[in-house]
Amino acid sequence: MKKQVRFVLRHVILLLLAVFWLVPIVWLVATSFSGYKGINTAHFFPETWSFDNYLALFLRPDSVVQYKAWFMNTLVIAIFTCIISTIFVLMVAYTMSCLRFKGRKGLMSFGIILNMFPGVLSMIAVYFILKSLGLTNSHVGMIIVYSAASGLGYLIAKGFMDTISISLREAAWLEGASEAKIFWKIILPLSKPIIVYTVISSFLVPWGDFVFAKLILNSGISADWTVAIGLYNMLNKSLINKYFSIFCAGGVVVSIPISILFVIMQKFYVEGITGGSVKG
Amino acid sequence: MKKKLLASLLTVSMVAAMLTGCGGSKEEAPANTTETTEAAGGAESTDAAESTDAADPVANLIAATTDTVALTVWASEEDQTLTTELLEKFKAQYPDVTFDIKLGSESESTAKDTILADVEAAADVFAFADDQINELVAAGALQPVSATYTYDVAGENVAGAVEAATVNGTLYAYPMTADNGYFMFYDASVFTEDDVQSLEKMIEVAGAAGKKVAMDISNGWYIYSFFQGAGYDLTLNDDGVTNSCSWNAAGATDVAQAIIDLCGTGVLVDLGDEEMATAIAEGTVVAAVNGTWRAETASDAWGENYAATKLPTFEVAEEAKQMSSYSGYKLIGVNPYSANVGWSMLLAEYLTNADSQAARFEARGLGPANSTVAASSAVQENPAIAALAAQAAYATPQRVGGNFWTPAETLGQILASGNPDGTDLQTLLDTAVEGITAPVQ
Repeated sequence: MKKQVRFVLRHVILLLLAVFWLVPIVWLVATSFSGYKGINTAHFFPETWSFDNYLALFLRPDSVVQYKAWFMNTLVIAIFTCIISTIFVLMVAYTMSCLRFKGRKGLMSFGIILNMFPGVLSMIAVYFILKSLGLTNSHVGMIIVYSAASGLGYLIAKGFMDTISISLREAAWLEGASEAKIFWKIILPLSKPIIVYTVISSFLVPWGDFVFAKLILNSGISADWTVAIGLYNMLNKSLINKYFSIFCAGGVVVSIPISILFVIMQKFYVEGITGGSVKG
Repeated sequence: MKKKLLASLLTVSMVAAMLTGCGGSKEEAPANTTETTEAAGGAESTDAAESTDAADPVANLIAATTDTVALTVWASEEDQTLTTELLEKFKAQYPDVTFDIKLGSESESTAKDTILADVEAAADVFAFADDQINELVAAGALQPVSATYTYDVAGENVAGAVEAATVNGTLYAYPMTADNGYFMFYDASVFTEDDVQSLEKMIEVAGAAGKKVAMDISNGWYIYSFFQGAGYDLTLNDDGVTNSCSWNAAGATDVAQAIIDLCGTGVLVDLGDEEMATAIAEGTVVAAVNGTWRAETASDAWGENYAATKLPTFEVAEEAKQMSSYSGYKLIGVNPYSANVGWSMLLAEYLTNADSQAARFEARGLGPANSTVAASSAVQENPAIAALAAQAAYATPQRVGGNFWTPAETLGQILASGNPDGTDLQTLLDTAVEGITAPVQ
């Protein structure tokens, strides 16, 4: 009896948490299919259903909705940032984990402390540096900003590489492999899970970023924007009543690439953990 | 050894890249400034010669232009289609000049924040709301309209608009619209023209019909109409940032009590802009205080019965007082850091001339600032614009420091919810005034 009460109680709490957590998402998805374009606070579910908002996103670009262009911009920026910062992170992690050189400890702590400063603090400085280099309103500038300091986030990858047996590297040394070869051929194939983690996290930074994007892309030319700025712009008080449900549709679509990335990567993630490397 | 060589090579190349990067922009800068001074100088000298003869300064400007004229224009999101058309016409008017005009979107209401973030990076020609002009001028972000090319900006626009574009006697911007104010929308199937003269009568009629009257009372912009209407002042001090306010003067508690009583009926409801739009569309609200931007919502909902008029009167200590309002204008400004100040000014003139203002009214229903266009029959027949014109006699331009909004909003919330804590009204007003007149840190 007591067991049953506990069981029920536990599940009621879980149910409540699940409801709190899911309601906004359900609402977003439901509203994205609304036939009414503005905000309707009187009903949770839309009164009329329509697929039109999604069509408007992709097939009817106007001066407000240039979703295809934004999506491509964001994707290009995110992909390049992802590649560059993944390489940075793994290289720094390898250096810190496997190589021994003077000042390694000092450099490591320095990197960690530097990484603790919120990037937002340096925003204005970053902006003026980019401006003096003529890189504002440029996607190259954004890729540089997003990926430049990413190497400082090496700590987790380093922790993982520390667990890879040193005897593997020693064996490779004896066979005459260079450091680069060990990194690419021995360590990287063994680090799949952490690569996956790094790829996902470094893709997410530019994909969801608003603050830096808004700061750097300040010319107001909407074709240059990223999805985050474009969607935010739709919430302008004079536009919201015509574009709110399209905004919701945009919010749903923007989560698709991340979901796909995660589903694909998850397979490797599990493989990486269970595969094992060193045979007993 | 090899490694060290590589490292030093890399360092050298990085330093070189940085230096050349900075050097490049430095080289550009002087070229820009000379061009600017030329253009501005040209404009001034022509002004001295003859400001009425329009052909000459423009011809001079064209003659002085050899390169492509690259300009960025900021217009609000809703104005994009129209502005694109106007830009095409502008280009067609000067076929000898190569233009590279980019159109960006920036809401007039947020233009100041974006421009002041980095004036040099802001557009050459931009639209903004007139309440931002003091700060823009203080930051040196507006080129004074010291000379005109094609029409007399100060003479052709309505006096209020020109006044709104003037700071310390200098004209700083080109008036574009004169409709940034609020008035009363109503459903003519519920109210007669006599009903809408008094807020008490409106509440009685709407209450009998089981409907609501909406106003965003918990918003400084709207609550101003009660206090100003009853004769209590709120003005901007000479320093341009702090306020003077007499909302706690003797008798002002009657105004506060009046607002509490009006809201206490349950018929006058405090709704924000978006909620109001929903409520109008759903039919629960049959009259609302709002601006031209809601004209479409209201006319969609009420169809033929859509009507608009000046704000009603309300009773303070059994005496009817006409509600006041803020009048606002949208202006076009020119960035003094523009590489082509001359062309920017010419373009700003083009975007605000009589034809463009008429086109803007036809396309978007915005009230023109140009006196001739405003007097045309088409404009006079538009209910929203006519209501604004009727309200204009009781309206004041919006000149208020940033400390006004939050205390006024709090005051509005307390009054609209019927003063739930039962605070003494004089204390309530004293607190609000203290906040409104507080010095800026």
